[in-house]
Amino acid sequence: MQQSRNRKVLREKRGRFLGSFYAAIIYAMFYIPVLVMIQFSFNDAKRNYSWEGFTTAWYGKLFSFRNHDLWEALVYSIIIAVLATIISVVIGVLGGIGLKKFQFRGKKFINLMLYVPIVVPEIVLAVSMLIIFMTIGIKLGMGTIVIGHCTFCIPYAVVTIKGRISGDNDTLQEASMDLGANRVQTFWRVTIPSIMPGIMSAAFLSFTLSIDDVIMSNMLASARQSTLPVLILSVNRTGITPDINALTTLMVLVMVFGMLIMNFIQRRIAAKEAREIAESEKRISAMSEHG
Amino acid sequence: MKKALSLLIALVMLFSLGITANAAERKELNIFMWSDYISDDLIADFEDQFDVRVNLSYMNDNADSITKLTAGAGSEYDLIMTCDAYMESLINGGYLEELDLSQIPNSANINKAYWSEQNQGYCVPYLMNYIYVVYDTERCPIEITCYNDLIRPEMKGQIGSVDGARNLFPIALIALGYDPNSRDENEIKEAYEWLVKYNENVVAYGSTETNIVSGAISCMFTYDGNTAEAMAQLGENNTLVVAPFTSDPVQLGFDLYVIPKGAQHMDLAYQFLNYICDPEVMAANLVDNPYSCPNDAAVAAASEEYRNGPAFDFDYKTNIFFQEDVGDAITIYDQYYQMLKVG
Amino acid sequence: MNQMTKKKPLSRLPMIAQAGPVSLWMILFVTIPMLFIIFISFMTRGTFGGVEYTPTLTSYQTLADVIYLNVILKSLRVAVVTTVVCLLLGYPFAYYIARKPADVASRLIMLLMIPLWTNSLMRLNAWMLLFQTNGPVNKALLAFGLVDKPVMFLYTDGLVLLGLITNFLPFAVLPMYSSIEKLQDAMLEASADLGAKPSTTFLRVTLPLTFPGIFSAIILTFIPALGTYTITDMLGGGKVLYIGNIIKNQFGTIRNWPLGAALSVLLLLITALLIFLYSRFASIEDMEVM
Repeated sequence: MQQSRNRKVLREKRGRFLGSFYAAIIYAMFYIPVLVMIQFSFNDAKRNYSWEGFTTAWYGKLFSFRNHDLWEALVYSIIIAVLATIISVVIGVLGGIGLKKFQFRGKKFINLMLYVPIVVPEIVLAVSMLIIFMTIGIKLGMGTIVIGHCTFCIPYAVVTIKGRISGDNDTLQEASMDLGANRVQTFWRVTIPSIMPGIMSAAFLSFTLSIDDVIMSNMLASARQSTLPVLILSVNRTGITPDINALTTLMVLVMVFGMLIMNFIQRRIAAKEAREIAESEKRISAMSEHG
Repeated sequence: MKKALSLLIALVMLFSLGITANAAERKELNIFMWSDYISDDLIADFEDQFDVRVNLSYMNDNADSITKLTAGAGSEYDLIMTCDAYMESLINGGYLEELDLSQIPNSANINKAYWSEQNQGYCVPYLMNYIYVVYDTERCPIEITCYNDLIRPEMKGQIGSVDGARNLFPIALIALGYDPNSRDENEIKEAYEWLVKYNENVVAYGSTETNIVSGAISCMFTYDGNTAEAMAQLGENNTLVVAPFTSDPVQLGFDLYVIPKGAQHMDLAYQFLNYICDPEVMAANLVDNPYSCPNDAAVAAASEEYRNGPAFDFDYKTNIFFQEDVGDAITIYDQYYQMLKVG
Repeated sequence: MNQMTKKKPLSRLPMIAQAGPVSLWMILFVTIPMLFIIFISFMTRGTFGGVEYTPTLTSYQTLADVIYLNVILKSLRVAVVTTVVCLLLGYPFAYYIARKPADVASRLIMLLMIPLWTNSLMRLNAWMLLFQTNGPVNKALLAFGLVDKPVMFLYTDGLVLLGLITNFLPFAVLPMYSSIEKLQDAMLEASADLGAKPSTTFLRVTLPLTFPGIFSAIILTFIPALGTYTITDMLGGGKVLYIGNIIKNQFGTIRNWPLGAALSVLLLLITALLIFLYSRFASIEDMEVM
């Protein structure tokens, strides 16, 4: 008995080690190119054809703010990505739940439409949207880019959220309503927390898609401002310059920092909610004792 | 959570307001072109001198400007960069404003050999690029003196090439002794068969300069500007030479500015065009952008270093052909180009 | 009667609030543009770009060419390979993350997403710098005497696959993670307590229960991989055209919008067919993802 338990512990340990090892390999696959990219931001060459030696000159150039094109493009891209993420996640969460829960005429059609932006090469939607916007006289700019991005982010958000929802949500919701919560309360207190990992995934996907988009951004942009990926692809004609590596490196650092702050806020909120729940539970048990 | 969210939204709104407010102060000139293709100083000086703000936005592909123009979004811009191969369609399609050259007196500096009469009314050439063959004297197995050398079996796995139907087919047509802008389906078909052999020798399309510097290829069919970058990168170790072609002509393409139909700031566009045609201004611009230039006065005023650049060191500069608009025949080219790449 | 009319709008409100925005968005920004694309596909190519509004079936007749069948088969192959590899690599990885405590898991997911916030072109570029002829990998191989001349990694199928995986894997991992995370330990324990071997538990409990996530993962990798071309162009050396390239070219330099539109319609039909076949033959419960 003792022996078999030991063996089990051993096996679990080994399993955990193998799991971590495997995860490390996968992470390496994602981080190696980023590290190489960071390394080449210190490349002492006009263009990144090969490694020529170490310099921090590119960061110097960046912080002299002489080339504000890059900075403006970066800020513009981030604002667009944040807006597109917020809109897509809100519509995606509502839509994911709604399309799963309700039966209505045209639902199949909407479901099919959701696949269109995923499958059709972006240029097709981009060109047709451009023509339509020009025809009805919508001015191109940040708004049109955000609309374009949301159009392909929403399907990703909906599909991810739907993958998270299943039958047991209904039971939970019914229980919540039976206990006297109204629809809105149930939505905020039960439905949303139960699909939180799905929401998080949807937000990550939307942000990632938007911050990296070239085609929609290019077609639907006004003359005033390009996004960073558009600028990078354009420079790629003759080879990436290390200042772009430097900017991308900074961008990653800023985002990591932002994520850490968000994480901190989230944990504060979670702690607060946990306290509230504990209190209300106490009250409920007090009430039931009283009853 | 909700509070954090609304704070975030408010911040974003503030940011975007800041950007638009900043942009609305001065007169604006909106230009759509390649990035990294005009000197920052030139733009800054122009802004100071004429008290305007220049908004540059960038294309990723020559097709981008065509798509924008044909989709009706041209009027968003005051100047758009495109190349000579599309001019006929753009003019006939009515997508461009006709130019009044008297408003661009400096345009007299541009060599008329590079600026066809028909195009003069609609565009101003900016820079130009030869698409020629360059090889590494140490690593390339053979000396290359004509396009037919590129399909010799020794060249297998040696070539890097630019892409696109209208860049590839002309060299095949020339190698076969036809008009590089042929509209004859049989000739195009023969060119396709030539290109199948070429394709077998090609390692990769695109990134030619990176590949030749890193040693993945020893010969490239590419633009002079990319060659200049590659040679500069190799520095003292440069063993690249422009292939000494004996009789085959090379393609000379132009990047040019057009004013799209309905442009909002025609006057500023004229001022800008006149400004960049000024020999001194253009000569300074050539330091950052060492490409071939149709502005003879500017080339004369340019630095010794620019004029003696190894990427321009070849003696058949006048044995050239232009990429003409082939009209509907483009679909034939496309069909064979697809066959080439799908197999 | 009166009561019914009063009650109906009330019960429809949550439906409109939830399914409404997404429906409206899809109709405005997907259906209308796509109707326009379908309309264009039946028109004539404008000589100078754009479209001439004379109805014709030319574009669809062009599609009958065997070349397009080849292109589609090639694109399908890439999409299948990418999806299978992403699922095989991604499921264990998603499982690993999902079994961690919630706060650790969310950090691990974040760790997975951060690299994607750098530009994809920059990442592809980094792979090329790493594997190029005089790059660090080749230098290391030479230094250790494993090879005597540099290996040509660039433009091989292996590198293309690596690029595709690093691009699409997160899209497979995220939905699978969120559905595995939902699995309750109790169920797995129950299965084990009932004497099921771990492999049986996995096949009979874990896999079926996480199927919605797997299905989402398939959708989010297979379908976009079908139309992809930037990765294959850059890492593959642009020697092969995929359907995405061809469509892009029609809207660009070739200026044959009707053909591009017809090809897009074809792509849509293929996807619809695949989804239909899938829903017909996969008799797995909770296929409601669709």
